Formats: sequence, structure tokens, C-alpha cells
Amino acid sequence: MIFQSIRWRLQLWYGLVFLALLAGFGVTAYALLRNVQLRHLDGEFQRRIGPLSSSLRPPPGGPRPFFPFFPNPFTNSQGPPPGGLRPDGLRMGRGGRREDQGDRGGRGGDFPEGGSPEERGFPRPDGPEFQFRLPSDQAALFGSESNSFYYVVWGPGGRELARSDAAPRDVPPPPAAGAAPGPAEPRMRGVFREIYHATPGGGGVLVGRSIAEELAGLRRLAWKLAAAGGVVLLLGLTGGWWVATRAIRPIEDISATAVKIAAGDLSQRISAADTENELGRLAAVLNSTFARLEASFAQQQQFTSDAAHELRTPITVMLAQTQTALARERGAAEYRATVEACQRAAQRMRKLMESLLELARLDAGQETLRRMPYDLSKTVSDCVELMAPLAEARGLKIQCAVPALPCLGDPERMGRVVTNLLDNAIEYNQECGQVRITGEKLGGTVILSVNNSGPGIAAEDLPRIFERFYRADKARSGSRGHTGLGLAISKAIVEAHGGTLEAASQPGEGATFTLRLPG
Amino acid sequence: MRILIVEDEPDLLRSLTQALQEEGYAVDGAADGEAGLFNAQNYDYDAVVLDVMLPKVDGWEILRRLRKTKKTPVLMLTARDQPKDRVRGLDTGADDYVVKPFDLPELFARLRALIRRSAGRTSNLLAVGDVVIDTGARQISRGGQAVALTAREYALVEFLALHQGRVVTRTALYEHLFDENESTLSNLLDVHVSNIRKKLGADFITTRRGHGYCVGGAP
Repeated sequence: MIFQSIRWRLQLWYGLVFLALLAGFGVTAYALLRNVQLRHLDGEFQRRIGPLSSSLRPPPGGPRPFFPFFPNPFTNSQGPPPGGLRPDGLRMGRGGRREDQGDRGGRGGDFPEGGSPEERGFPRPDGPEFQFRLPSDQAALFGSESNSFYYVVWGPGGRELARSDAAPRDVPPPPAAGAAPGPAEPRMRGVFREIYHATPGGGGVLVGRSIAEELAGLRRLAWKLAAAGGVVLLLGLTGGWWVATRAIRPIEDISATAVKIAAGDLSQRISAADTENELGRLAAVLNSTFARLEASFAQQQQFTSDAAHELRTPITVMLAQTQTALARERGAAEYRATVEACQRAAQRMRKLMESLLELARLDAGQETLRRMPYDLSKTVSDCVELMAPLAEARGLKIQCAVPALPCLGDPERMGRVVTNLLDNAIEYNQECGQVRITGEKLGGTVILSVNNSGPGIAAEDLPRIFERFYRADKARSGSRGHTGLGLAISKAIVEAHGGTLEAASQPGEGATFTLRLPG
Repeated sequence: MRILIVEDEPDLLRSLTQALQEEGYAVDGAADGEAGLFNAQNYDYDAVVLDVMLPKVDGWEILRRLRKTKKTPVLMLTARDQPKDRVRGLDTGADDYVVKPFDLPELFARLRALIRRSAGRTSNLLAVGDVVIDTGARQISRGGQAVALTAREYALVEFLALHQGRVVTRTALYEHLFDENESTLSNLLDVHVSNIRKKLGADFITTRRGHGYCVGGAP
């Protein structure tokens, strides 16, 4: 499946996040720009609505103009408007601004000098309660084009007093009376933006403008933003794909190598050019794991092949002996010799099998070692007694100088270790040589040394003598019942006791095996 | 036919020696590489059975040194059955390769084939006039009639027949028919030759005075 590929998933998530970011950015930019334009427009509305509302005044004899502190040019010429409407809820803040605008408008548009005041839309069928006169300079702010500002003025009761040329027919009437005087929030009506200002007298003015052009501009902007976003997204995805591919490539190398290794070729390694990054380090770790795996696999193979090899010789002997004996009738003595040879071969196989089993158990950690206090020197003297006939047969002397060495562990297994070491010391000795065993306790460590006067161990063999089936003399296979596992088993037993077994030798000067055990 | 066995496992050496002797071969045994190499270099064996793992000088080394002076057929015995070991053995100059454990009949068959090939023959059957020698079954017939021979007589006939048409010296016969432990009385050979003439006809073996014996056509 395509979405099970890390690269695709990475790409998908990357794409989604990128898309969300771009969309967020685009929408925010669009909204900000739209807001700025509308604010600007609203500012224009505010600039126009002040004079408009000031131009709307109650009829003479009515209430005073709703900005009594404000020198309204119209009141001078028309007199105080009649009517009983009093402004209430007048807000000082807005009034102040209006004052400023009105002031300017008033001064700039002094209609007795600047020509006749603009008087429009005065249907006033019900009598002249409210008058609306707009100074000409104010009127210039409203054009007659469809996209220019327009205004509509209503008297109390929703009677339309005036409207500019550009005002659309369908401007809805003002809301029912009772609306708080002052400007309402700007509203959108189709492509028209309008702001309604209720005057205290009950009437109101509306300033509006078609913003179709601005909206079209914004739409174009939105499309441009979307197109730019699309291009950026495409570029980003391409870049992301490239990055993902680059990031995945070492993983693909690793996986390809692992596949080859799984198929059985343990010599394969991951080629990691850059070992500093995370994947490089992973590759290095995997490579070293593979190397160890290969080594241990080779070791295991060698061990199995060696074990099989060790079994071949006694089996060959048994086959050759029995086939020869059975080829014709024999005397009792010949049969006896054959049976004896077969017995020797069988004993040898038993010994090998026991050694292999013991090693396997020690390897698996299943060998349960007893932990009891015992005296290592007693174990040593027992072993010396056991091996004495063998040493005598070769004219060897065993010198044993071991003081009491109290230890904790398995005396039987430790006896096997000592026997192995003694056996080796006798086997690889010269005629009439000697074997020296010394022991001491240093600090918390029990040290036992077995030294012989043999030819010693060659330097190239020394590091390998504890390996399974390793023989310094390749041909000593099976001679005198040695399996080639003795030292390996000894080392395993000693290590199971938490100790160490080491060999030191100078060619021609004998060899010394040193056993160290925690006391 | 005289064969050298180089094998360090005493029980195996003993049983192989006995079995091959019972097959009618003269057998010398060597328990280590040094003795084996010495024997192989100083006697003309018809074949050498050589173990690879040997004390002192190993099988590879014996083979390498032997090949400098002799073409004796060598059959390697080894517990290593890896293909690379076999390849190495054959490339070093071994003529055959047997992996332990082996069956004795197979070993014998391989030895016979080895000896036959080294004498330039391809068949187990050797014919000299109306006498046919089956080296596989170790039987001799004359005019279709089986003739009973002792093991030593058979060995003598087989050796002469393998080299038929050529004069075989008495020394060569002694070297190939008796092992190093046998007391080789000078007239023992004459006794065998005379017995064979009684069984296979007086003119089967011709005597070349001062040279040796010959079967088959005159050279």
C-alpha cells in the first residue's frame, strides 16, 4: 500500500501541514486587506455623515439643533427649528468629532457667499417640520456615478427627505423609531456598504457606496493568493519529496542490506558514507551487530563442524573394526580385540558427548552451580592424588605447595578444572620434567597457579588455547582421549564462579595457568 | 600390490592394515607423518592411504613433498568434508579423497580403481592369452574355467598382468608383494612362480634370466 510507505506518509503529513499554513496565511492576508479597505471606506463614511446629520435640522420653532454648543451655519439662516423633539443619549465623544467636522464644513460651506445652498429631495408633503440643506462643498463629496458615495436622509417617521443621485432605489427605510441616536454599525447590503446614522429628532441619514469594484479587487486578490499558494505548495511538496527521498535513502540501504543478510549472506554491510548523523550512527551500530552476528555464526559453525569432526574418527574406527571382523570367521582373540577397539571408540565418543553437553549447559547458564564453602587446597590434593600415576608413568614430579584456601562454590566442578589443568601440565611436559602447583590468598582473591616445565605454548597459539577444539598441535586429535574441550570447559566453569583463568608462557620455559577466584 | 597407510589413530591403523592384508595387499603402516613420508619416499608403493591430520608432518605436507619425487597414487583420508578441503586435497596432487567415516568396501574399490588407473587400465578385467583376471572379484579364470589361487599367487599374477608385456624385476616383485615385516626368502618367489605355472600353464610366465619375469607378449 502506498500509504504504508514512510515516504508517502511523510509527504502526506508535510503536504497537509503546509497546506494548512498556506491557507491560514492566505485567509489572514485576505481578511486583513479587506478589513483595511472597509475601515478606510468607513472612515470616508464618517467624514461624510457628520455634515449630513448636521444638515438635517428640525423645522424652525422646533427644538434647538441637537448640538447646541455647535455653531451650525444652518441655524443662523433658518432660525431655531420648531417641534418638541429633544436630543437624548447624546454621546460627547462622537459629538466632539462631529463638531470638528461640522466646524470645518460650516466654515468651508458658508452658503450665503458660496452660492445657493443645495436643497434636494424635499418632498415634504406633510409640512416643513424638518429641513435638509447640504452645503455645496459637502454635496461635492457625493457623486452621481454608480460607484460614488450616496446618501439618503429621512425625517422622523421614516419620511424620506433627500437622496443623492447615485443612491439606489432599493435602499431600505430606516429602522422603526426608537433606535438610539448616533451612528449604527456599518452594514453590507449586496455590493453596497452603508452606514445609518439616527439623528436625535427621530430621523436619520444613510451614507453608502457600492463597493463592487473593491469586492472585485478583493476577489482578484484572493485568486492571486490562491494561485501563489498553489505554486508555493507545489514547490514545497517537490522540496519535501526530495528531502524525504534523501532522508529515506539510508533507510532503504539498511533495509536492502538487511534483506540480503536475512537471505543468508552474513558478509553484507551497510555502506554509510556519513557516519555523523543519526542514520549513520544507526548504520554503524547495525554493521557492528552484523559483524558480531557473523563472527558468532562462524564460531558456531566451526564448533559444530569440529564436534562432528571429533565424532568422525571414533565412528570410522568402529566401522573399520567391525567390517574387518565380519568379513570372515575369526578366532575369539580377534573378536575380543575388535570389541575392545569398539569400546575405546565408544568411550571416546561418550567423553566428547559429555563435554559437549556440559559446555552447552554452561553456555545456556542452566548449569546450577552449588555454592558451598570448601577448601580449594583439599580439592587440589585430591586431584594430585588422582593424577599421580599418570605423572609417574611419564617420569614427572608434581610439587604441590598450597595452603588452606577457603572458597565458596562447587568443589566438584572446581576439581574438574584442577584435573584439566594438571592433565594439560602433564600432557604437554617434557620427560622427567615437573609440575608445580602454588596457591595463595591475596586480598579477597584466591590465586592458584599450575606451572609445568614443558616446551611452553607458542605465542600465536596462546590467545586461542581456550577456544573450543583448538589444539596447538593440530594432529593430537583424540590422542589419549583428549577432546580439545578441556580448557574451554575449565574457563567456562571458572567464569561461572565469577573468577578468571589465564595462561602465560614463554616458549621453552614452560607454561603457567593462573586461576583467580573471589574468596 | 603394496600399500602404505599413514594414520595416527592406532585402532584405525590396525584394522585398515588387517583388512587390506586380507584383500591380498602387502601393507606397511606409519603412525605419524615423518615415518609416513620416509616410507613413501623410499619405497615404490602401488598406492598410499594418507590421513590429513597427522602428528609432526601433516598430510598436506607429505603430499607436497612426495609429489616432488614420486607419482605414487595417493588416497587422502580426512574428517573434513568441506568442499574447499576436497578441492585443496585434489589440487595438491591427491588422486582420490575419502571422508571419514567410510565403508571398507568403498575404500577398497577406490584403491583398486586408483591402482588400475595408474597402470593405464580402464577395466577391472585383465586378459593374458586365455587367462582372464577379474581384479574386482579377485578371481582368475583360464578358458572360462575358474582357477583357485592363493592370495599371494593372485597378487603376483595381478601385478605381472598389470605390467604385461614388460619385464618385471625380482626386486620390484619383492617390493610390491611383501611388506617390510615379512622375511623375504630369496626362493619364495620361485616357489610362487612354479605354483602359478602348474595352475595357469607352463608358458604363462616367462623367465628372463638375470632380468626378471614377464607375462604376455614379448617386448
